[in-house]
Amino acid sequence: MTSYRLATGGLVNRAAPLAFSFDGKPMAGLEGDTLASALLANGQMLVGRSFKYHRPRGILTAGASEPNALVTIGRRERTEPNTRATVQELYEGLEARSQNRWPSLDFDVGALNGLLSPFLGAGFYYKTFMWPAPLWEKLYEPFIRRAAGLGKATHEADPDSYEKSWAHCDLLVVGAGPAGLAAALTAGRAGARVILVDEGSMPGGSLLFDTAMIDGMTASDFAREASAELQSMPNVRLMTRTTAFGWYDGNVFGAVERVQKHACDPASHLPVERLWRIVAKQALLATGAEERPLVFGGNDRPGVMMASAMRAYLNRYGVAPGKATAIFTCNDSGYRLARDLEAAGIEVTAIVDSRPTAPPGYRGRPRVIANAVVCQTKGNKSVSAIEVLHDGRSETIAVDALAMAGGFSPIIHLACHRGSRPFWSEENAAFLAPQDLKDLRIAGAAAATVGIAACIQEGSAQAAAILSELGISCRPAALPNVEAEEESRPAKPLWSIPGIKGKAFVDFQNDVHLKDIGLAVREGYGHVELAKRYTTSGMATDQGKLSNVNAIGLLAEARGVSPAEIGTTTFRPFYTPVSFGALTGAHSGYHFQPVRKSPLHDWAAKNGAIFVETGLWYRSAWFPRGGEKTWRESVDREVVNVRQNVGLCDVSTLGKIEIFGADAAEFLNRVYCNAFLKLPVGKARYGLMLREDGFIYDDGTTSRLGEGHFFMTTTTAYAAGVMNHLEFCAQALWPELDVRLASATDQWAQMAIAGPKARLVLEKIVDDDISSAAFPFLAAKEVSLCGGKLHARFFRISFSGELAYELAVPAGYAESIADILMNAGAEHGLQPYGTEALGVLRIEKGHVTHSEINGTVIPDDLGFGKMVSATKADFIGKVMLEREGLKAADRLRLVGVRPLDPTASFKTGSHILEKNAAATLENDQGYVTSSAFSPHIGCTIGLALVKRGPERLGEEVVVWNGLKSEYAPAILCDPIFVDPTNERLHV
Amino acid sequence: MASLISCPHCGARPKEEFTIKGAVLSRPAADAGHQAWTDYVYLRDNPRGTHREYWHHTSGCRRWLVVTRDTVSHEVGFCQDAAAAKLAEVRP
Amino acid sequence: MSDFRITLRPALGSAPRPGSRGLSITAMPEGHVVQVLGRPHAPDLFGVLERATGAAHRSVRAAGPGQWFIVGDAPLSRDEFAALSTALQPHATAVDQSHGRVRIRVEGTIVERMLAKGTAVDLDPGAFPVGTSAMTLLGHVSVHLTRIEIAAFEVMVLRGFAESLWEDLVRMSVEFA
Ligand SMILES: [Zn+2]
Repeated sequence: MTSYRLATGGLVNRAAPLAFSFDGKPMAGLEGDTLASALLANGQMLVGRSFKYHRPRGILTAGASEPNALVTIGRRERTEPNTRATVQELYEGLEARSQNRWPSLDFDVGALNGLLSPFLGAGFYYKTFMWPAPLWEKLYEPFIRRAAGLGKATHEADPDSYEKSWAHCDLLVVGAGPAGLAAALTAGRAGARVILVDEGSMPGGSLLFDTAMIDGMTASDFAREASAELQSMPNVRLMTRTTAFGWYDGNVFGAVERVQKHACDPASHLPVERLWRIVAKQALLATGAEERPLVFGGNDRPGVMMASAMRAYLNRYGVAPGKATAIFTCNDSGYRLARDLEAAGIEVTAIVDSRPTAPPGYRGRPRVIANAVVCQTKGNKSVSAIEVLHDGRSETIAVDALAMAGGFSPIIHLACHRGSRPFWSEENAAFLAPQDLKDLRIAGAAAATVGIAACIQEGSAQAAAILSELGISCRPAALPNVEAEEESRPAKPLWSIPGIKGKAFVDFQNDVHLKDIGLAVREGYGHVELAKRYTTSGMATDQGKLSNVNAIGLLAEARGVSPAEIGTTTFRPFYTPVSFGALTGAHSGYHFQPVRKSPLHDWAAKNGAIFVETGLWYRSAWFPRGGEKTWRESVDREVVNVRQNVGLCDVSTLGKIEIFGADAAEFLNRVYCNAFLKLPVGKARYGLMLREDGFIYDDGTTSRLGEGHFFMTTTTAYAAGVMNHLEFCAQALWPELDVRLASATDQWAQMAIAGPKARLVLEKIVDDDISSAAFPFLAAKEVSLCGGKLHARFFRISFSGELAYELAVPAGYAESIADILMNAGAEHGLQPYGTEALGVLRIEKGHVTHSEINGTVIPDDLGFGKMVSATKADFIGKVMLEREGLKAADRLRLVGVRPLDPTASFKTGSHILEKNAAATLENDQGYVTSSAFSPHIGCTIGLALVKRGPERLGEEVVVWNGLKSEYAPAILCDPIFVDPTNERLHV
Repeated sequence: MASLISCPHCGARPKEEFTIKGAVLSRPAADAGHQAWTDYVYLRDNPRGTHREYWHHTSGCRRWLVVTRDTVSHEVGFCQDAAAAKLAEVRP
Repeated sequence: MSDFRITLRPALGSAPRPGSRGLSITAMPEGHVVQVLGRPHAPDLFGVLERATGAAHRSVRAAGPGQWFIVGDAPLSRDEFAALSTALQPHATAVDQSHGRVRIRVEGTIVERMLAKGTAVDLDPGAFPVGTSAMTLLGHVSVHLTRIEIAAFEVMVLRGFAESLWEDLVRMSVEFA
């Protein structure tokens, strides 16, 4: 006998059939079904194989805690393993496949593990596979992973989109059961901003399967009316299919909304999942309670189910568990199920109650066996009989389904996410949430409150208390009248059960059974945290939602103490698994990070630029021309053209900072290691910025445009960092200085015009006199362009070593000015050049970048020792620069290096060895920081940091590439390969 | 997932908007000696409990703040503008 | 005299507009954006700014302690900028950011829900009324956000990020199309 769909009843839409398949077998379900209810309706009791022993497993729960019914759904790129059938809504065409079985679910070779089980107990992996160690990676781990697998993820890219959102409210209510709905209604009616989230597809929680009548309505109709009222309130947001998975500091809750996980073909304009961060002034947990399994032999056999889950399948989905059901209970929950089964005309074979008597008011027909336990189940792939121990004898009763009701554990995970521990309540036989939590309250079954009326009352009262704390007045709501609700007595927990034969499972998902717990205690792992790790109980993807309290109860019993003394393990987010997609949100692939574009981006693109990503920027790397087959050909041409004619390079990405204020000069004097106090207006100066430890942080030119106005440039890479640093200095170190900073990187497009003919080109558009006499090297000033049509900032600075200028124009005019320059420069051979040529030109001139300024160098290492001011009272890095180690004679210092054989080459990062020295780290003399083919020299050249470098010019060395075992004989030389006397700069 | 810092200028904002620098230490005078400077540059306490740190509201008002944070509970306490904190220290 | 013609290229000139019903995203005119840097520890300059800006076609936006943006749809001539600059002296410095910042108008009844996909700032009209500004992170991009009407926000962003932010805004609005 198997489960089946009843002819009537439930909240499913019988007019809307849905076709789906399980392991390729076509099946039919109804709109409103979960995959689990649809499987049960089709008589599919066996849905998976267990993790370790490959035991046949069925559907145990009707919700988020499901440990057994994990299936793979979807196909191809939408394949999703480890989906809980109990929460997956059914949709037309859903394809589900069972997991962890081979070759088939019915006949599974791995089930032989069951025979090996004496060797597979707790600690088995630790004991068996520890040695020999090398075998772990090669043999044991792959074997174990194959045998004890969950579902397999697809390797294809996820085709769906995800997003994140923030939300704010006065009150967040988690859970839309009786307590949550009442709380949201109370707060909503008072005008508070309320967010109510529920993991289910419709609000109602336990109301959706309770048969009580509320104000003359069915419980589910009551839930529907309450949610309709909530939805009509503009100040309330009701979010279904949304799991609040974590409570974080600042009273922020993480939640994941499954926007389209119930859709066959997700609509492209919506994400499939949305990650919410909800900032709540106050929050109320109305998360309900989890029913506990009972630990008896074969409690994992398909057909054995939680009593409350059986009620849910019966009342909400119209699915009967079988034709002859037994109920094993230690509390009143079992009797509610019995009443509902009876009402649906399903035979209840027996109620096995561990307590001495049935509830006094119970008038049902089924046989009650009091003072009794189920010690084991029998059957092959589903339960066919149970063995009941009572009155000192054992009785076998034929059944086709068994419900178990071990008492309720309030769902308090969120309340424990910020470090507070739950406490054991003997009275409620449950762990309750820690008390006096800041801005978080608990109501309803989550607070161990029993009964719909009491939950509604408490939800409403807690909301009113929260509103009064927030200063929002509210009228107490009239409480509904609840009929047909039975009184519930607190239950004494039933941990260990006598007469068990076979495996009695504690943690279903990780296949941890009773004997494992005993073994852990005997072997000294009785502490709750140790037992968890030793037995793996509670470590599966369900995080022990069903098993943890039983494991604690059993540990307590084995150690002869109260569960209070055992305590719980630590609760951590996430309450249920959250997909990486949701955590990533929209920022994946091309949108992983924003793109930052230079105002000359489109100009470069139309001139044929090849772009390179530099941080967030896209910079033009080179500009290929017809006939050029390699990037080197283009770069060489661009370099030669700058040296012979003139080139134009976009340097807009350099950081630009405007510095104003009466103390601006003093401020710069403190942040740079060289002097800036007396820089004349109209002049630019190269500046070196140190860190407090004395090492160089960044470099750039800073120009004085007015008495209290400077214009600083930074490197592209450190633009943001330098701005933060300057703000730190101005605000945190020297707030007494009048200095004001503004980032102007995006305001100005900056172009370098470099080459012997640069002035000839610029004279055509710059109105001012730019002759060397009027505008010498390092001059800086505002100029007018094209007959006063535009004003620009003009600097005579050079990175290439040629006669060069930088022209800064407001960004919106950048393309126009670049076009005009290209036009004006055509007769002089003006060509654009990119960052590759820029790099070659600066290496030829011995100019450093962050390849050399790599965090290990001080000014003297780069030949800038004389720049460091000896007279300034203080500047960033001054004191630490005086350290002994930074004055050592054998520091690595900047030199040039080139191969003895001009046809040879070497790579950046290669190390320098003495001529005949062995290639060892001990013999390491330094390394190449930058290298390039120099068209000017005609061979590869490099800059290198070498011990005592400048004293060794002319020494023959070997450049050693340890990665490729390449050796290039080379010679150390002056790092300035072009125009060492700087004549070209001044023409 | 969140961590809200109450910027005195902008209100509560998530940590993604901030850049954290580390412990609030006062910069020694240039003649304070190497030991004081070594402490300032290299040595850090690793307190359990209340910790004062520099946070920069990089994607907000761009002010440096002195944030008092509990390293155990993550609770963020008093947040003050760093310039105000420094000036208060100079002229008590 | 030079006969070169200088033309302006708007940062979002070529960006397409999304055709959503619930929302509109529009590049605002690249008029002027002036960043105002108050002297440290100066008294509140709002009155000075009101006097200096005067005309109704300009607006003053708070931008952190001692800083403001003065924005307007019309470009500012060199003389106008100089006059504004002088009017602010000695209390504050004016920095021309007309080309460095791009303004985008986002409008619609559910505009708050759309922007909540990017910013943690509570944009409920009760918490963020018309005229309020905030500098915040919108997705991965820093922006200056102002509620200019009950259902309209001005999003100001560094020019280099404008296209990227535009794409983000379009993506954030797709749901409401
Ligand atoms: Zn701030």
